[in-house]
Amino acid sequence: MSKFVIKYSRGDRVKYISHLDFVRMFHRAVRRSGLDFMFSQGFNPHPIMTVAVPLSVGVTADGEYMNVGFETTLNENELMSILNGVLPSGFDVKTVKKTEGKEYDFNLIERAEYILDIECDNPNSIDVDSLMSNTEISVLKKTKSGEKETDIKPLIHSLERIEPESGNIGIRAILAAGNMATLKPETLVDAINKYQPDGKITFFAAHRKALLTKDNKELL
Amino acid sequence: MAFNERDKILTKVQKPTRYTGGEINSVMKNPADVDVRYGFVFPDTYEIGMSHLGIKILYHTLNERSDTWCERVFAPWSDMEALMRENGEKLFALESGDEVIDFDILGITLQYELCYSNVVNMLDLAGIPVLAKDRDESYPIICGGGPCAYNAEPVAEVFDFFMLGEGEELIHETTDIYIEWKKSGKKDKKSFLEKLAQLDGVYVPSFYDVLYKDDGTIKSITPNNPTAKPVVTKRIMADFDKTPAPDKIIVPFGEVVHDRVMLEVFRGCIRGCRFCQAGYVYRPVRERRSETLTKLAESLLSSSGYDEISLSSLSTSDYRELKCLTDNLLRITEEKKIGLSLPSLRIDNFSLELMNKVQKVRKTGITFAPEAGTQRLRDVINKNINEDNILKSVKLLFSGGWTNVKLYFMIGLPTETDTDVEGIAELSEKVLGEYFAIPKEERAKNINITVSTSSFIPKPFTAFQWEKQNTREEIVEKQDILKRTIKSKRIRYNWHDNKTSYLEGIFARGDRRLCKVILEAVRLGCRFDGWDEHFAFDKWMQAFANCGVDPDWYLRKREYDEVLPWDHISVGITKSFFLKESEKAQRAETTPNCREKCAGCGVASFKTGGCYE
Repeated sequence: MSKFVIKYSRGDRVKYISHLDFVRMFHRAVRRSGLDFMFSQGFNPHPIMTVAVPLSVGVTADGEYMNVGFETTLNENELMSILNGVLPSGFDVKTVKKTEGKEYDFNLIERAEYILDIECDNPNSIDVDSLMSNTEISVLKKTKSGEKETDIKPLIHSLERIEPESGNIGIRAILAAGNMATLKPETLVDAINKYQPDGKITFFAAHRKALLTKDNKELL
Repeated sequence: MAFNERDKILTKVQKPTRYTGGEINSVMKNPADVDVRYGFVFPDTYEIGMSHLGIKILYHTLNERSDTWCERVFAPWSDMEALMRENGEKLFALESGDEVIDFDILGITLQYELCYSNVVNMLDLAGIPVLAKDRDESYPIICGGGPCAYNAEPVAEVFDFFMLGEGEELIHETTDIYIEWKKSGKKDKKSFLEKLAQLDGVYVPSFYDVLYKDDGTIKSITPNNPTAKPVVTKRIMADFDKTPAPDKIIVPFGEVVHDRVMLEVFRGCIRGCRFCQAGYVYRPVRERRSETLTKLAESLLSSSGYDEISLSSLSTSDYRELKCLTDNLLRITEEKKIGLSLPSLRIDNFSLELMNKVQKVRKTGITFAPEAGTQRLRDVINKNINEDNILKSVKLLFSGGWTNVKLYFMIGLPTETDTDVEGIAELSEKVLGEYFAIPKEERAKNINITVSTSSFIPKPFTAFQWEKQNTREEIVEKQDILKRTIKSKRIRYNWHDNKTSYLEGIFARGDRRLCKVILEAVRLGCRFDGWDEHFAFDKWMQAFANCGVDPDWYLRKREYDEVLPWDHISVGITKSFFLKESEKAQRAETTPNCREKCAGCGVASFKTGGCYE
């Protein structure tokens, strides 16, 4: 029996897979590998697998985390090469660490670093510093109970302009992400559109560069 | 993160993984390394197409060639199509994302008549002229196959050629000829088609002239090219046990209709039900050995990671090694925590035991298909099952704890009277009676009987190919009789919409004069006719009116001496056999199945399979 935390990236080709489909895809990949998943106890046993802060559809990522357990005893490198052999291309397992308990606690993840490539019909209208100088940034945010006017400023930890890969504006953003609070990139884009109405963001693509603790550190 | 124009569309549509490819076991190649870019086109959604066995077989076999890259092409759903047209994006293939207008060959599989509007719409979306005569050498070659290719006359003018029957060998032969033609500079498309027409199983529609009589019936169908055969006969795989089956299948990211490993147990059917096109066109019956299938199951499960497997064939109970196969499969499924889903089987002690092993907890519904309500009509259609068989089977089921029974019937069958329709209600009540005959303490609670009727559609290459199809009014009248005569509240009645059956009937026995109607319907916005949310009957009727074509004419009774639109095609069964069967049907005389006694249908000419066991 061995438990692991896995760090993996998710590329362009597989960015539209929903979380549920991702979980099923991973189960099938493990079946292909012949590894023995640890199954949950109970009436309807399912493979034990926990994904930290599931990714939104359409977003690529460099450093996602997952906990998995296998009945078989394995070492870290073995598991990494087995998984990379069975996952569809676009997924790349980068690090595997054996865990006993809570050394890599997903509850410590509070932030995510995003790179946004934005297409705006008036690029000069976007000024991240002036957006952050507002005392409050209030937008309609989707919650479980519907849409609600929310101040998202406390959920934005940093915003800076960078050179874009596509489109005409690039932004690096560190946003709240985790069990406590989450700000999705699309809500930030809504805020920019609302507060800087001289231009309209017509499209953007998001890349989640890293999941971070409150000290802006990665788990592994 | 970098994005492209297609991302702008994909972020706005439902189920974007329908369009992105990249699934495990999908095949990527370098376009520079191949001679042929092949698009395998399934003219319906990804979820329907990816559930189809044929595409898996042909995709795999084509991609084993180093000179060919076969990719998948599905019909984009309406949200996607609207955005594509708005942004000027053309139909593309999933693997490369490249537009199919630049491909060499597009092979379109025709699984049902109601896909014709999608075929036309997809070519239009691809930027490819819809009619073969408008496409010169610079466009992809458009070929067709699948069950509707046996009478694809309504879309014949769209296609350069058809492959009739099983394609595992023929698709390679036609690809070889294409490569030869391409390497010689792709001059003169006609010379290429002439080479193809000499292959067994290839039908080049432009090489045949169809003449009509004053009364609208066909006068003659004659070859206008010396290479075209007067009659084109379908192809089959002679040794099915040795026919290569893919040992790897693509595993979709999103859920599809049949999301599991499918094992093709045998081809063909021994039964001879007179309405059933599949039962005739796939003859002769040819089985795979259980060892072959067991090995195949193991490799498919481990290469796909699926946790469910099912068996695929017509009338699976007729598989002679069924016990051995299911024993083997149960061993694998128990060891690997995999689900075995059974097809509908003839109910006897063996199948009940098997069902008990497979579904330990849940007792799912069991389906029976008596097809007709009275013994006389069951004899007419040669459905060799009697009331006694049915009642004994349901008694076994009810005693075994099953309470969910579905009964399938057809209405509108030849010679049918009101008595036959009422017989459906009577038989259903008798089934219910079997449940109540079991002492209360020995039966499970909550009996649930569902009666479903579909409308009979006469199909080419069946004993009923000459029959008149019921009008929509007649069908509604019969549905009403049933609604009135089913008394018990424990029997639920589902009926099939009469409008789609009407259209399906027109195209099933249609001729080349329907092509302009299909083009007009697509122009009016018809597509996805098999989908309730898209089917637009009024637009279809408008299209018929605009083209001056009377749709009802296609549902009429045909005379035995009439030239049928598919008379230049052969599935191996002689027309005289169909005629004999048609006459026997009128007299309610049955024909024994192929293993009881050879009925002399003609497929013995293939010199293989059930005819020589």
